[in-house]
Amino acid sequence: MTSRRKWALVPGFVALAGAVALLSAYSGASSSQNFTPEQPINFPHPTHVQKLGMNCLYCHYSANKSPDPGLPAVGTCLGCHNPIEVGPNRPKIDSIPARQSVEIKKLLDNYADASGKPKKAIPWVRIHKLPEYVHFPHMRHVNAGVACQSCHGQVQRMQRVYQFSSLNMGWCINCHVNGYKPADAVRNTEGYPTAADNALPPKKARYDCSACHY
Amino acid sequence: MAATARPKTMAELSPRPNVASANQQLPGVIDYEQVDRDIGGSLSPTAGWFGALAVAIVLFLWGAGAWTYQIYWGLGNAGYNPPVMWGVYIISFVFWVGIGHAGTLISAILYLFRAGFRTTIYRCAEAMTVFAVMTAGLFPIIHIGRPWKFFWLIPYPNWRLIWPNFKSPLVWDVFAISTYLTVSATFLYVGLVPDIAVLRDRATNPVRKRILAVMSLGWRNSEKEWRHFARMYLFLAAFSTPLVLSVHSVVSFDFAMAINPGWHTTIFPPYFVAGAIFSGIGMVFTIIIPIRKFFRLQHYVTINHLDAAAKLCLFTSLVVGCAYLVEFWVAWYSANRFEQQYFWNRVFGEWWWAAWIMLTCNMVFPLSLFSQRLRRNPTWLFILSIFINLGMWFERFVIIVPTLSHEFEPWQWNHYAPSWVDISILVGSFGWFFMWFLLFIKQLPVIAIAEVKEIVPPKLRSPHVHEDAIDVTGRHQAYEPDTPGEFD
Amino acid sequence: MTEPAGSAGVKRRDFLKVLGAAGAVTTTVGCFQEDVEKLIPYLVSPDDTVPGVSTYFATTCRECAAGCGLIAETRDGRAIKLEGNPVHPVNHGALCARGQASLQGLYNPDRYRHPMARKNGKLERITWDEGIKTLRDRISGLGAGAANAVFVNQHETGSFPAFLDQWLAGYGMPAHIAYDGEAPHAVMQANRQSYGSAWPGLDFTAAKLIVAVGADFLEMWGSSVAQQLSFADARAKLADAPRFVYIGPRRSLTGLNADEWVACKPGSELAIVNALAGKGDLAAAATAGGVDQAVLQRLAGEIASTKPSLVLSGVTTANALDVALAVNALNVAAGNVGVTIKPAEALTSFDRVGSPNDLRDAVQRMASGAVQLAMFRGVNPVYVLPKSLRVAEALAKVPFKVSFSPYPDETTELCDLVLPDDHFLESWGDAESVRGSVSLQQPAMDRVFDTRATADVLIGVTKGDPATASRIPAADYRSWLIGRFPGGAQAFGAALARGMAPGSPAQSTGASRTVAAAPAPAPAPLEGQQGDFYFLAYPSPVLGDGRATNKPWLQELPDPVTKIAWQSWIEIHPTTAARLGIENGDHITVTTAAGAVTAPAYIFMGVRQDVVAMATGRGHTGYGRYAQNVGVNPLDALPVAHDASGGLALATVKARVAKTADSSPLVTTEGSARQHARGIGRAITVAELNGPEEEEVEHFAGDNKHDFLPGLRSPVANDAQGVLGNPKSKDKGMYDPEHWSGMAKRRWAMAIDLARCTGCSACVTACYAENNIPTVGAPWQGRSLRPFHSGDGNGWDTRPGANILKGREMQWIRIERYYEGGEDGSSDFDTRFVPMMCQHCGNAPCEPVCPVYATYHSPDGLNVQVYNRCVGTRYCSNGCPYKVRYFNWHGYGEPARRQYAFPEPLNWQLNPDVTVRGKGVMEKCSFCVQRIREAEHRAKLEGRELVADEFTTSCAQACPSRAITFGDAADEKWSVARLAEDRRAYHVFEELNTFTAVVYLKKVNHPAGGAR
Repeated sequence: MTSRRKWALVPGFVALAGAVALLSAYSGASSSQNFTPEQPINFPHPTHVQKLGMNCLYCHYSANKSPDPGLPAVGTCLGCHNPIEVGPNRPKIDSIPARQSVEIKKLLDNYADASGKPKKAIPWVRIHKLPEYVHFPHMRHVNAGVACQSCHGQVQRMQRVYQFSSLNMGWCINCHVNGYKPADAVRNTEGYPTAADNALPPKKARYDCSACHY
Repeated sequence: MAATARPKTMAELSPRPNVASANQQLPGVIDYEQVDRDIGGSLSPTAGWFGALAVAIVLFLWGAGAWTYQIYWGLGNAGYNPPVMWGVYIISFVFWVGIGHAGTLISAILYLFRAGFRTTIYRCAEAMTVFAVMTAGLFPIIHIGRPWKFFWLIPYPNWRLIWPNFKSPLVWDVFAISTYLTVSATFLYVGLVPDIAVLRDRATNPVRKRILAVMSLGWRNSEKEWRHFARMYLFLAAFSTPLVLSVHSVVSFDFAMAINPGWHTTIFPPYFVAGAIFSGIGMVFTIIIPIRKFFRLQHYVTINHLDAAAKLCLFTSLVVGCAYLVEFWVAWYSANRFEQQYFWNRVFGEWWWAAWIMLTCNMVFPLSLFSQRLRRNPTWLFILSIFINLGMWFERFVIIVPTLSHEFEPWQWNHYAPSWVDISILVGSFGWFFMWFLLFIKQLPVIAIAEVKEIVPPKLRSPHVHEDAIDVTGRHQAYEPDTPGEFD
Repeated sequence: MTEPAGSAGVKRRDFLKVLGAAGAVTTTVGCFQEDVEKLIPYLVSPDDTVPGVSTYFATTCRECAAGCGLIAETRDGRAIKLEGNPVHPVNHGALCARGQASLQGLYNPDRYRHPMARKNGKLERITWDEGIKTLRDRISGLGAGAANAVFVNQHETGSFPAFLDQWLAGYGMPAHIAYDGEAPHAVMQANRQSYGSAWPGLDFTAAKLIVAVGADFLEMWGSSVAQQLSFADARAKLADAPRFVYIGPRRSLTGLNADEWVACKPGSELAIVNALAGKGDLAAAATAGGVDQAVLQRLAGEIASTKPSLVLSGVTTANALDVALAVNALNVAAGNVGVTIKPAEALTSFDRVGSPNDLRDAVQRMASGAVQLAMFRGVNPVYVLPKSLRVAEALAKVPFKVSFSPYPDETTELCDLVLPDDHFLESWGDAESVRGSVSLQQPAMDRVFDTRATADVLIGVTKGDPATASRIPAADYRSWLIGRFPGGAQAFGAALARGMAPGSPAQSTGASRTVAAAPAPAPAPLEGQQGDFYFLAYPSPVLGDGRATNKPWLQELPDPVTKIAWQSWIEIHPTTAARLGIENGDHITVTTAAGAVTAPAYIFMGVRQDVVAMATGRGHTGYGRYAQNVGVNPLDALPVAHDASGGLALATVKARVAKTADSSPLVTTEGSARQHARGIGRAITVAELNGPEEEEVEHFAGDNKHDFLPGLRSPVANDAQGVLGNPKSKDKGMYDPEHWSGMAKRRWAMAIDLARCTGCSACVTACYAENNIPTVGAPWQGRSLRPFHSGDGNGWDTRPGANILKGREMQWIRIERYYEGGEDGSSDFDTRFVPMMCQHCGNAPCEPVCPVYATYHSPDGLNVQVYNRCVGTRYCSNGCPYKVRYFNWHGYGEPARRQYAFPEPLNWQLNPDVTVRGKGVMEKCSFCVQRIREAEHRAKLEGRELVADEFTTSCAQACPSRAITFGDAADEKWSVARLAEDRRAYHVFEELNTFTAVVYLKKVNHPAGGAR
C-alpha cells in the first residue's frame, strides 16, 4: 500500500461513518414498522372481513366519530359467538357447517363463564402506537375519505396484524403536504378507480405543527 | 563539545528597549542546536508537570460528575432563577470563546502584518485558542435542557423533514464555532509539521518516533516542501483572519438580536470582538509568563515580545472601555425608560459590585500599561492578566444576569445565585482546558522551532572539524575546508 | 352514568388505570420506542360513552355552602375537568378556584382507601359490613346515652340534613349540629331579623354607591361567585357604575377592589356606621376609628345623597351583630331594601346553618364526659376551633368517636371508627341554592376507592337490624331521593340533564339548636386589653377555614392579596415594620392573652399601623401530605370568643409583637409591586372615560404610540399572519397567504377587561386543571442548591415552596398585582390586577430565536410551543418581554421521580388532550389550543364553520367576573373582535412592536367627588 493510499484511509472511514449516520437518520430507523406481535387470541381479520363482509366500523365503532378508533368490547364478540347457541363452535355460515375452533374456545373458556357472562377482558397487544405528544384524530381522516388500509395496510388479508406504516412524522407530513388522492382510497379498498376518481384532485391537509402537537 | 555559556540576558545584549520586529534577533540564542536543545528540552516531563496535570484532571472529572448529576436531576440543580434563564454556562461559553480569539489574531493577523514579536508566542496562543474553543463548545450543550437532543441544531436530512431555524443566532453559533474550531485546529497543525519533523529526528523511543513520523506527514525539510508550506501557511492565515472577526460577532448576536434592554444594541459586534481579543491576550500572558519562567525560555520570549503584546492589550482595553462608556451614553440618549432604568440598575442596582469589578479590571487597571516599566515587568503583567480574566468573566456576567433579572416586566424581576453545580462545572472547564494544554506543552514544542530558527543567526564556523551547518531554510551545507592542509 | 356499580364498572376502572398509566408515563422525553403496551377493552361497552370523546354530567359543587352548579367533564369514565353550569341561578357557568380544585379532593392521594377501625391503638382496615355492624352495635348499646350523642355535620343545604335528623331521631339521638366556620353568622342573624331571610339577593348593578364595612363579598363572605358576577356587571357599566368604599382595618381582596379605603380601628365600626347613618357623632366616631373626620363627613354626605346605595357588613368583632343590625337599619333608611337588597330573591344557602355555639357547647359536654358517641362528617373541630378550647382533650373523654371524613384530618386521626364518605362527584344528593329550585348532585364517575356515601352507610345501619329496618323504606339514598322527587324516577332522570329541578328538598324536622346553646362569655372589650396591636385573623380567600388546604392547586395558588403560597405570614404596616426594624421574611411572634403564633412578616400597606393580620387555613398537623406542617394556624392565638349570634369572633384580641432572631424568605410570586411607569395595568377615571376622546394614558418617554391594528394585523411577520399579514410587507414567510386550509383566516385573540377583573385568581386554578400544569411547591419537590444549606443533607430542599423561592412556579396565567400611590404608607393607593399570560404576539420576539422551531407562529395566529421539539435553550424566555414562559427544571411529569406532581391517583385528572411535559422543555399558555382543535373537529364533523363564541378557553370559562373574552379577532361576529376596538383597549408594551393578540381594557376608577 503506497503512502498516498494510507493517508486516504482515515478520512475514508470518517466519511463512511457520516454517511451511515445520515442514512439511518433519514430513513427513520427508529420506527417500529412491521412489528408483528402474537395476540392472546389469534383473531382472523380475513375471515370476518372478507368471508363475512363485516365493516371495520362494526368493531372499531368510533373511528368515524372520535379521535379514538374504539376497541370492540368482549360483549361484541359474544354477540355472534353466542355461547349458548353455538358454544365453542365456529358459527355456521350459509353453506359451511359450524365446527370446533380452538381460538373461539379460548375466547369462551378464558373470557366467559358457562352463562356467557364475561369474566375477564382480553389483553390485546397494542401495535399502532403514537407518542403521547401526537394527537391523531381518526374521525378527521376517516371522514375525509382516507381508507383505513392506506395507513393500516390490507388488514383484511393479514392472518396476523402487523404495523404496516412507519408512522414516522415524515410519513404523515408527506401526505399532508402532497395530499391524498381519492383514487388511492379506491385502490386501497381493492377497487378500481374510475376516470372520475382519477380526475379528483388530491386532498391536502394542514402541515402546521400545532395541528397535531399540543 | 561546544561550551554552552550562560545565555546573556536582554539587559546585557540590548541595553535600550526596542520594539521587536521580523528581523529582531534573539541575542540570547547562540545557534540552532541551542534552539533544538532548549525547546526540545522543555518536553521532558517533570514532577511539577505531573502534579499540575493531576490537578487539572481531578478538576475536570469533578466538573464532569457535576454535569452527569445535572443531566439526571434536570437543570433545576443549576442556580437559575427564572426569568434569569441563562446563567454561568452561557457566561462561561462567551468567556471561553473570547479567550479563543487571541490565538488566531496573533498567529494569523499579526503574521500577515509581519509583526515579528508574534514569532515566539504564537504557538502557545494558537494551542490556547484550540483548547479554549473546545471548552467553549461544551457549554451550550451543558446549558440546554435536553442535551441528548443537541444534534437537532445541526442541519442534516432526517425523516421528520424539518430543519433548524436558520433565523436563530444559536444556529449561527453552531456554524461559527465549528468552523472556527476546524480552521484554527488545522492552522495549528500545519504550523506544527516542521517542528514535529524535528522532534521525529530527535526522538529515541521507537513508538514515539513512529507516531511523530505519521504526524509529520513525512516532512523531509526539502525546498519544495518549504515552498508549499509557506504558501499553505499564508493561505490559512488569510483564511482565518476574517473568522477572528466573525465568530465573536456571531456570538454577540445571541444578545444583540434579542430585544432586551442592555442587549439590543448595534455596538455589540465590535465591542465583543475587542473584548475577546483583550481577554485572549490576557490569557496569553497568564500562560506564557509561567512557561517562559519554568521552561527557562526567557531568552526566546523576550521582554520586548511581552512589551509589544502589552501594547496590544492596552489598545484593546481602551476599545473595550470606550464601548462601556458608549453603552451608558446611548442608554441616556435613547430616552428609552427601559434602557435607562436598566443601566442605572447595572451600576447601582443589585449587581453594582459585578459592574464595578468589570469596569476596574478591564478599564482602569490596564491603563497602568501606559507605563513602560510596568509593561516590561512580567510579574505585573501576570497579575494584571489574572485581573483581566476575572474582569472579562464578569463582563459577560454583567451583560447576562442583570438584564434578565431586571427586564421589561417588573412583576417578574428576580435574583440570581449560582448553585454548587454551576460552579463545579465552571471549575471543571478550567480543568479540561488546562488538561489539554499541559498535555500539549509536553508533547509538542510550545515555541515554533522553525520560525525561531529564522531569526537565529546561522551557525558560524566552528573550530571543530567536519561540522556542517544548516542555514535558515534548513538546507544542508557541506563544510568546505578553506585552510589548505587542514585535513592533513 | 346511571349504573355506577357492578362488575363492568369496576373492570372499567381497571381499564382506565392501564390507559392512565400509559398516558402519564410517556412524557415528551419519551421519543424512543415505548415498551409493548396492552389494550384492555371493555367487557360490555357502556352505551353512554364514546372512547376519546368527553361525556358531561350536571351536578352540584359541595365545597362550600353556596352550592354552585357544575358540569363535570368525564373522559372514558373519569372526571377530568369541572366547569360551572351555565343554567344554574347562582354561578351562571362561572366557578371559583376552590370549585375547580375539588377534583383534587376526589383524586387526593391521601384519601382513605377503605373503612378502618382502631385496634390496639391504631387504625386498621376492616370491611364495610364490619364497619356498619360496629356502628350499629355501638348505637344500640347507647341506651339512654343516645340523648347525649353528638353528630356534627358540615353545613349543607338539600335533603341530607333532614334525612340525617330523621335517622338520628329514629335512635333517639338529638338533631345534628350543622357547622360552617366560614359563614358570617352575625350578618345572617341580623338579616333574619331585618329582612326575614338569612341571605337576601344582593343586586350590585342597581346600586350607585357600595359601602362594605368589612364585608369581603368577593371572598369568603356569602356566595362569592354570585356576588362577583353581580359586582363585575355593575362596575362594567362604566358610566353610571357604582363607586365602592371599603371600611375596615385591613384592605382585603375586596378592599383592594374599592375606590376608597377608610382604614378604621377594629371595634370602631359601630360608631362609624351610626355616624354615617347620621345617628352618631362624627367627631367621636372619627377619633374612635382613628380616621379623618372630613372623610366620614364626605361619606355621610354621599350615602345621604346617593340613592340607591348598598351597604354591607361583615365585621368579625364581638359586636358584629350590632354592626350588622346598624347597617341593615341604614339600608332600610336609605330605601335600599327591594332595590339593591332583595329578600324576595334570597339565597337559601345559609338558611339553616347552625350556630358555632352549638359546636362549642357540644365540645364542653364532651369535656364533661357526658357524651358517649360522637360522629363527625365534613367538620374538623380539632383544627377549626381555637386551640384554647382544648377540643382534643374533650374528644379523648368520648368513649367512641366515628368519622365519616374521607381525609386523614386532625379529628379523624383521633376517631375509633372511620367510614370514609364518597366525594360529591361519586355520590347522589341535592342542594337548594335559591328558593324553589333544587340542584341535583349525581356521580360523574365510579368510586376511586372503596368508600361509601354516608347516607347509604346510615341506611345500612338501620337495614341490618330487623327492628329498625322499616324506618327507611328505600334501598339506598338515591332511591330515597327519587322516592320523594316530584314526578318520580322519570322526572328525576330528565332533571339530571340540566342538574336543576323546581321544588324544594326535604325540611329538617329536628329541633333547631340555634337557641339551645348557652351564649358564650362576652370577650373583654378591645380597648381595655394589653398590647399595642390589634390581632386580626381572617379566613383565607383561597383556603377558607382550612378544609381546602390539602389540595396542591390551592396551596400553590398565591394569595390574591399577598401573592404568598405554601406559607403563613403576618401582615404588618411598612411604617410599623420600619419602627420595629422588621423586614420581609423576618419571623415575628404575635402574643395574645390566649396564646402566641410565630410566622414570617409580610410588609403590607393594606393594614393599619396598629394592626397585625393573619390568614386562617394553614398550620395543619395532619390532613395529608400537602397540608401537614405547612404554615401556622392563627387560631392558636385566639381566645374562644363569640359574637351575640354565636359566630366565632376573629378580631377580639390585642397583641404584642416581637421580632425573633431567625427569618425565612417569603414564598411569593411577586417581583416588584410597582409598575415603574411602564403602563402594564392602566386605568382611567370615569370622568376621563366620559370626557373627550384624548384622555392622557400612561405613556412614557420614548414610547411611540401605534394605532390599533384591525384584526390585530402585524406589519412584518406574514409567516405569522397568513392572509392577515400586511400585503405591502416583503416578508411572506413560510406560509403561502392563500393557505388552502381555512386556518390562516383566523386570528385567535383575547380581551381582558381590567374594570371587571377582581384578582380572585380562579382563572389560574382553571388553567392548572385544563393544561396539566405541575405544582412545584410541595416540601419534597425542591432540590437543595447549596448542599449544606436549607437541605436535608441528601440534596433535597425541604422548605415548602422551595422551587417557588427560586421563581420556578409554572403559572401559565398569573395575576400581577400592582400598586399605584401609597409610597408614603398612606391608605390612599390604587391596585391594578393584571392577568398576564402568553400574549401570542403577531411579531413575537421568542419565535425567531428558537434554533429548532419549537416555538413558531401558526397561521391562525397562535404562538405555538411544540414540547417534543424543544431542546431547552430557553432563548425564547429571554426574548419574551412579558416573561410568560416556564421551564421544566425537574421531571415533574415523570412518575418515577420524587418531584412527580401527579402522584396516583392525581394523575387520573390529567387532561388526555394535553401533553404532560417532561424535564428540560419550555412551556407556556397555548390559548387552550386543544380546545380550539376540538371545536374545529366538532365543526368539521357537523359539516359547518365555527360559530361565533361557540367555545372559549379554560380561564375565560371559569372567570367569575367575566373579565376574559376569547375568540377570533379577524371575524367581527366574535365578541372579542368588538372589544378589540373598544376605546379603553391597549396592548402591554405596545412600543415593542410585538403586536400582541391579547387586548387589555383599562381599569376605570371612581375617585371621590368625581374626577380627581
